Formats: sequence, structure tokens, C-alpha cells
Amino acid sequence: MRCGKGIAGMVLALMVFGIAADGYGQTAKEVVIGYTGPISGIAAEYGQDCANGIEMAINDINAAGGITVKGQKHVFKLAKLDEGLDPTASVNNSRRLRDQYKVPAIFNPLFNSLAAIAKINQEKGNEFLVMAYTSTPKVIEIDNKLLTASPPPFTIYVKAFSDIAWEKGWRKAAMVATVGAYGEEWRHAFREYWQKKGGEITADKPANYYAETDFSAPLTAALATKPDVMLIGGPSASTALVIEQARGLGYKGGFILMDQAKMDFIENILKSTKLMYNTIGVAPVEQSPTVAAPALEKRYRSLYKRMSTWEVWLNYNAMFALSRAMAAAGTVEDVYAIRAAFPKAFPLLGDKFPSEFLGITPAGRMYCPGSIQVIDQAGKYGQVQLALWQYKTEKEFKESIAQSQINANIKWVFLKFEKEQ
Amino acid sequence: MQLFFQQIFNGVMLGSTYAIVALGLTLVFGILQIPNFAHGHLYMLGAYITFFLMTLYGFGFWSALVTSMVALGLIGMLIERVVYRPLQDRPHINSFISAVGAMIILETSVIVFWGPQGRRIPNPYPDMVELFGITMSHQRLLVIVAAFVLIFLLQIFIKKTTPGTTIEAVAQNREGAMLVGINVNRVSSLTFAISTATAAAAASLVAPIFMISPTMGALLGMKAFVIVILGGVGSIPGAILGGYILGILEAIGGGYLSAAYKDVYAFGALILILSIRPTGLFGKEVS
Amino acid sequence: MAVIRFLRDKWFYLLLLVLALCLPLLITNRYHFQIVIMGCLFSIATLGMNLILGYTGQASLAHAGFFGIGAYGVALLMKGGLSFWVALPLSALIAAGIGFLIGLPTLRSRGSYFAISTMCFGVIVSIVAGNWIDLTGGYNGIVGIALPTPIHLPLIGSVGFQTQVAQYYLVLAFLLLTLFIMHRLVHSLLGLSFMAIRNNEALAGSVGINTFAGKILSFVVANFFAGLAGGIYASLMGAISPSTASLDLTFNWLIFLLLGGAATLAGPVIGAFVIPVTMEYLQSLAEYRLIIFGALLIVVIIYFPRGVMGAVGNLRQKVRDFYDRKKGAKGAAAG
Repeated sequence: MRCGKGIAGMVLALMVFGIAADGYGQTAKEVVIGYTGPISGIAAEYGQDCANGIEMAINDINAAGGITVKGQKHVFKLAKLDEGLDPTASVNNSRRLRDQYKVPAIFNPLFNSLAAIAKINQEKGNEFLVMAYTSTPKVIEIDNKLLTASPPPFTIYVKAFSDIAWEKGWRKAAMVATVGAYGEEWRHAFREYWQKKGGEITADKPANYYAETDFSAPLTAALATKPDVMLIGGPSASTALVIEQARGLGYKGGFILMDQAKMDFIENILKSTKLMYNTIGVAPVEQSPTVAAPALEKRYRSLYKRMSTWEVWLNYNAMFALSRAMAAAGTVEDVYAIRAAFPKAFPLLGDKFPSEFLGITPAGRMYCPGSIQVIDQAGKYGQVQLALWQYKTEKEFKESIAQSQINANIKWVFLKFEKEQ
Repeated sequence: MQLFFQQIFNGVMLGSTYAIVALGLTLVFGILQIPNFAHGHLYMLGAYITFFLMTLYGFGFWSALVTSMVALGLIGMLIERVVYRPLQDRPHINSFISAVGAMIILETSVIVFWGPQGRRIPNPYPDMVELFGITMSHQRLLVIVAAFVLIFLLQIFIKKTTPGTTIEAVAQNREGAMLVGINVNRVSSLTFAISTATAAAAASLVAPIFMISPTMGALLGMKAFVIVILGGVGSIPGAILGGYILGILEAIGGGYLSAAYKDVYAFGALILILSIRPTGLFGKEVS
Repeated sequence: MAVIRFLRDKWFYLLLLVLALCLPLLITNRYHFQIVIMGCLFSIATLGMNLILGYTGQASLAHAGFFGIGAYGVALLMKGGLSFWVALPLSALIAAGIGFLIGLPTLRSRGSYFAISTMCFGVIVSIVAGNWIDLTGGYNGIVGIALPTPIHLPLIGSVGFQTQVAQYYLVLAFLLLTLFIMHRLVHSLLGLSFMAIRNNEALAGSVGINTFAGKILSFVVANFFAGLAGGIYASLMGAISPSTASLDLTFNWLIFLLLGGAATLAGPVIGAFVIPVTMEYLQSLAEYRLIIFGALLIVVIIYFPRGVMGAVGNLRQKVRDFYDRKKGAKGAAAG
């Protein structure tokens, strides 16, 4: 009997304590969000940009009071670990983030690592969300129930850039794009789309943008085929060299920049847009037509002492989407519920975000419009165009952009896709 | 035909850098008998020093280049003393590990202190000329000429001056050199200094055309090894010739054949040649 | 009597074995478990490298290339419908076979020349893996590789490999197998001939050892184990890419091997555990971590050239000397 009383007493005490904790818990609880990525090594710049974006979003969310889940305030904290370019380290880090910090979600920006992480994030009792930053459609094919991806699939740029180039009357295209998974997919998609339009691929001379700096050999060979336009791209710095070396070899035609290459970075390296005439590429963050872009870009520059990139802002947005999904799901732990609540997190609009996010596909790709810009014959930036994708019908596309706050005189491009990217 | 000559020009320019870098490496490899795997990384450091002298301290191109050579010479001596000399009589693989340690330190330090992003040295001679349909920039022509001059001066130094001849003596016969009273340690230091200084010169010369980044030396270092081994370790003409040949082969191969498999040809050729001549094309027979 | 003697001589190893078998009871943290699993896996690869480098004295830098061949082999064969248990030995044999073909030309050269020509082969493997898109999936690699096929055991029934515990016992079993084979090999006549080649190739040749055949055999066996480790890696990680064959991995194992202690059986295993664990501890130093690691590498290779095992050996020798001296002193006093 005594024993029974004792247990009853303990249960009572626990209940009281539980109620007290629930009722008077005014201090915010901390939710740790994980990041594993290349903070050192060849891809350090890229990995740091992504991490900075998440970090800045977390600071902004916390500064606004965090999120409220079931009456309890929650704030966020970022735990970031370095993986270089090694998927083994990526899995170790994910395990560590999950075990030590109990993170509900892990951000990662490399396809090879994502494929390995996606193998361990659905273990019973140890599930976590994978917040992927990769533009390859292959990430959706992994078919993971707990995965979301923020950047638009690069295929939207293939279509949008090719259409613009076609309108300019360019027909003969040569390719001097980077080697690697990303370059390979781009080249393949571009060739397919360009040839379907009736264009001609005169040369395909991939080069190693990651390791080399002299591109005169592939360029000389490609230019000998007298192309109207050249598909180039890889890391911005090497892409700048390709432009300079191609112009140095007497090339006067156009360039299509694969989306990894950033116009403003290239301009910075070449000191002006003088050599960048007739170039089609992704619009710089600064030129983004949202209200929020200029101020955020300025703040980023003063905080991190470097220019911001889309890597920063799309991860920034993804972190906000995650926090809103948690609030909508009413939990910071049940990852399946959070994943299911993602559609309620949107739209993220231009008053607060440099790029708008207008929704999410069932497989987890967020609807982020691609910003496209053309530098004309005289070396001047043109008006930004926004390309939205994936909507099966034009009606859905119109409904979607009706939510947008972006200035009405922007040209929206509708790109139809057969399947989810 | 015009295309072909343009590619040859590209290749000679590329080969000039390879030749200088391989020349420095072959001196060290031949004399200290240790594979200095960090050579490419020292090359990278040379480019960074030139960059900072020019952008932060307002040096001109040529004064920055010379200062960078001196600085790298000193750093080279330091590395020889700290990283390699304690391992003199141990198996090669130990110096190799030590070199990997030095590589990691150099590359990471540059990333930590100066950031991972690529940087640009302002081009002192940006103009172009066109000759017989071949486009050449002044800086590229300069690289070719400067490489030629540098190689020529080094040859004179080694063949005609006393310190130079001691280097060659040690390269040819280490024990013999010791017997006739040459201080082998001092020769080691000197050789390392020359080797790294020339690497700095090569890096600074091409930096305005290209880009500098913390990883710029890794692949070059490996190629330099291929050249040195093909040319025969310690063989100066072998390194120079090998450098130019690889540069031209790459330009032509990259232009006409698959660029993706370009490095496979160079590395495959090495395996093939070593299987026929296990000590390289111009290498001494090992008993 | 024999049993008692066995227990007396080998108590330490038996204790270790029991500890290894009970490890899942001690570790509940998935992160620590992950590191242990990878440690066992990389021990297998490092033990392979130890045979050719440590015992035979030929510094092969193509090890990750063969690891990659094993990984791609298992990935492709399993995608083709084969069971893991068929795909794994097959892939390891393929790695060994390619090792034989590559050993024929490269083993004609010696020392640094051999190191560099094998390094070139390693680089070629990863370039081919990146560019032979139809077969290897290019730089994206192969994703969605299945876990090892469940095995059916009498009494217990079907054993799958979803859990970390099962994966741990899998790699542990392979590690013990590797250790057993290596132990038998290096203590056989053949192992002695490998060491004779390492110590003085010309002398070994003059006493009638076929040095070239010896080197080839050692290289082939080493690459078999590299391929084996790669095959298990592919199945456990579920995704591979050309970085699975990258030179960085070879460098890592080389460091494990030399810092752990080359030409010992415990050294590679110690290295494969101690160094990754140290690196995990240093994570908080962020980018400075690698600088410290590099400096550590140089210091250790200069001052402890025979690695941890060498240092342990020295310590034991010193302790023994101390006791001997004490005994000697006593004896002298008594006399």
C-alpha cells in the first residue's frame, strides 16, 4: 500500500510539474537546425554562402520573436558542420546533428551528399527533414518523403535562355561548359532543347572549370565552328576567364551563362560589362525586382563582408518556409507533420524576401521563379524577366503569380513541364 | 591550319609554365631525392604574394614578382629545413606524408586568411596583336619570352657558377660530392630556394592572364611530377622539353580530342612509358 | 593445457574480441555508431594498403581507385539484380583482376616512380568514373544502391541490415576475416618473402625469391581488400560518385597507416579509428582544424616515424629495460 501511495504521489507531482511547465513556460525553447556542407576546401565559398543565408534567416526569425507552437515560444539556433566534399563526412555530420542536437531538419547543398543523407533520414524514431539546395531534377527522383528542395530546377533556365537566344536569331550554338555532374546535365538538356527548336550544336568542348584557368584550347576549337552563341558556365571566376579569353580570341557572338555563373561576380572580376555584351544569364540579386532585395543585400554585405548570391537568399527563404511549416503544423518535432504542413508556409513574398516562393510541389520542390536578365549589344543590363515553371495549365500559372507582389510591368514567362522536376 | 597554329601558340604558352615549374621540381627531386609534393602549393603561394603586394601595397608588376620570388625562396628554405630535412634518411613515403601535411597547411591557411574565392591580378599588358591570323595577347607573349629567359639564366647559373656546379655535382653523385667536401645541406637549402623562387616567378607571370585560387597548384603540381618523371628525375633538359611537350599535347588534345579525357592521356602515357623504361625517358639507369 | 596456454598468450586479443562483440550494448548513440562502422570499413581498406606498402614496401597510391572499382562493381551488379553476396566477392575479384593488369606494367618501376604511376592510375579511375556516363552515371554517380541483401540463418531466420547494429556486425565480420587472412599471410613463408622484398629487393632476388611475382601477388591481394571495402561502402552508403575513388581517400588511408604503424596488423586499425575520431573532436575548430591536422602530421611523421604502434613498442621496450636493470641491480647486490 505504501508503495502504491508513493507512486501516486510521484505521478501527481509530475502532473503538477507538467502543468506548471506548460502554463508558466514564458522563456522560449530553443530548436537547433542542422547544416552540413563544404565550409572548407574547393567549394568553401559556395558552402559558406548557403550557411550564411540560413544563419541570417534564423537571426531574423528570432529577432521577430521566433515562432509560437502550441502556445510555447520557440527560437532557432544553427549548428553547422564541415564536410568538405566527402559524403562519408556528410553522413557522420548528419548523425551527429541528429544525436547531439536533436535537429528536426538538416540543410545540405551537394547532390552527392544529399543522396547519402537521404538513405538515413527515414529511420524509425530518428527521422529528420532534408532541406536540399540543388537544382538538379534528379534530387526529386530520389523519392524521399522527408525532403524539400528550394532552388528552381536548372531546366527552367535551359528553356528560358534558349528561347531568348532563339528570338535574337541565333541558330548555331557551341558549348564550352564545365565538366562535372551539373555541367553534364546542363549540356545534355541544352543540346536536346536547342536541337528540338531546330538549332544546330556546332561544337561540344567541355572544360574543367574547377581545376583549370586556361580555356584557350577548347575555345579556339569551338570558335573555329563560327557559332552565333556559346553556352558557357561553371564557377563565376572561371566563367569570367572564359568570356575574357573568348573575346581575346576575337569572338563577337553571344553567351548563354549556365545558372551557376553569376553576372555580378563576373562583372566584378572583369571590372565592367564591356566584354559581357550579348549575354543571357541569371539576374544578379541586386537587380531582383522585389522590394526587399536591395536592403537585404546591403545588410548581408555589411555583415559578411562579401557580395550576396542566390545561394544565400534561397536558403534564407527555405529556412523561413521551414519555420512557418513548423508553426502551421503545431510541432517542432513531428517531422512528417511539418513536411505535410509545408504548403501552408507559402507564399513568401517580395516585401520581405529577395525572391518570392509561391508554393511547393507534392514531391517537395518549392516554386521559386527564376530571374533572367540579358546584357545587350552595348553592354547594358536589360529588364529582369521572371520564369515560373511546372504548372500544368496556364490558369494555375496565372493564379500563382496573382499572389505575387512584384511590380506589374515585369515580364513573367510560363514554362510548362511534363513531370515534377 | 590557322586553327592548328593558334593551338600551338596556346600550347607553347601553357608549356612555358609547365617547363619552369617542372624544372624547379626536378632540381629538388634529383638532388634531395625527395618528391616535393607541395611544389604546386608553393607555386600557388607565390601567386598570392604577388597579388597582395600589388593590390595592398601598390607594388608594380615586376617589383612584386621579384619580391615574391625572394619571399618564396626563403619560405622554400624554411620548408626544406622543417618538413624534409629531418626525414632525409627515411623511406620516401615518409617525406610524402610530411609533404601532404605541408600541402594541407598551405592551402587551408590561404583559405582561412584570404578566403576561398578566386582573385585577379590586374593585367599589366592587356593589349592584343594578331600575327598571321593568330591572336596573341601581350601578356601571353611575355610569359613565353620570360620563361625562355628564366630557363636560360638558370642554365648559365648551373653550368657556369660555383654554387650552380655544386648543385649539379650533388645531383650526379651525392656521395662523391660529399667526399670532395661539398656541404650537402647547404646545397639542399640553395636548391630548394631556387626551386620555389622559380615556381613563384611562373605563378606570377601567368596570374594576370588567369585567376588565382587556393587550389590552383594542386593539379599543376601533379602534372609537374608527370613531366619530371617522364623527363627523368634530375634531368634538366628532360624537364624543359617535357614541359613544352605536355603543354602542346594538351592544347592540341583539348582542342581536337575529348577535353574530359585530356588528363587521362597524360597520366596514361606516364604509366605506359614507365612500364617500358622504369626510370623515365631520359632517366639514369638504376642498378 | 593447450587451452590455458592459449588463454594466457592471447588474453588481450580475446578481451578485445569480446569487447568488440559487446560494443552495441555500450554504444547507443547513432553518431558514435556511425563512426565505429566507418572505422571498421576503412580499417579493411587500410589493412589492404598495409600489405603492399607496409609489408612489401611498394607505395601504391592507386588504393582508392580499386576501392572505387569495388564500389562501382557492387552498385552496378546489384542494380543489375544480383544479390549483394554475389556482387561483393565478384567486385572484389574484378578489383583484384584489374590490379593484376595494372601491376604488370607499374610494378616494373620502383620507389617514387611506382608511387606516381599508381597515383596516375588512381586519378584515371576517377576521371573515367566521371565521364563514362552511360555506365557510371557521370559525376552524379549512382544513387539508391540497396543495403546488403538479407541472409537466412537457421534458427534465427532472416537477418536484414537496416539497423546500425546489423551493419556493425557485418563490417566487424569482414574486418575479422581480413585480419585473420592478413595474419596467416604475413606469418607464412610468402609473407616473409614480401618482407624480404621490402628490405632488400636485390638480395631477395639473389636468394631465389621471384621478386616480381611476389610484388604482383601482394598488389593483387591488397587491391582485393580495397575492392571489398569499396563494395561494402557502396551498399551501406547507398550513393557513390567519382569522389569514392578520389586521391583524398588514398591520402587518408596512407595517413591512417603510417600514423597507426605500418607493417603491423594493429596499426592500420588503430589509425583508422584514432584519426577520424580526433578529426571529429576538432570539428569545433572549424577551418583551423585542417591547419592543426597538417602540422600534427608533420610532427608525428618526424618524431614517431613508426606511428602509434612504434611508440607503444618503444614504451614496452623501455619498461622491460627498466625491470631488467632493476633485476640486474638486485642480482649484483646479492652477488
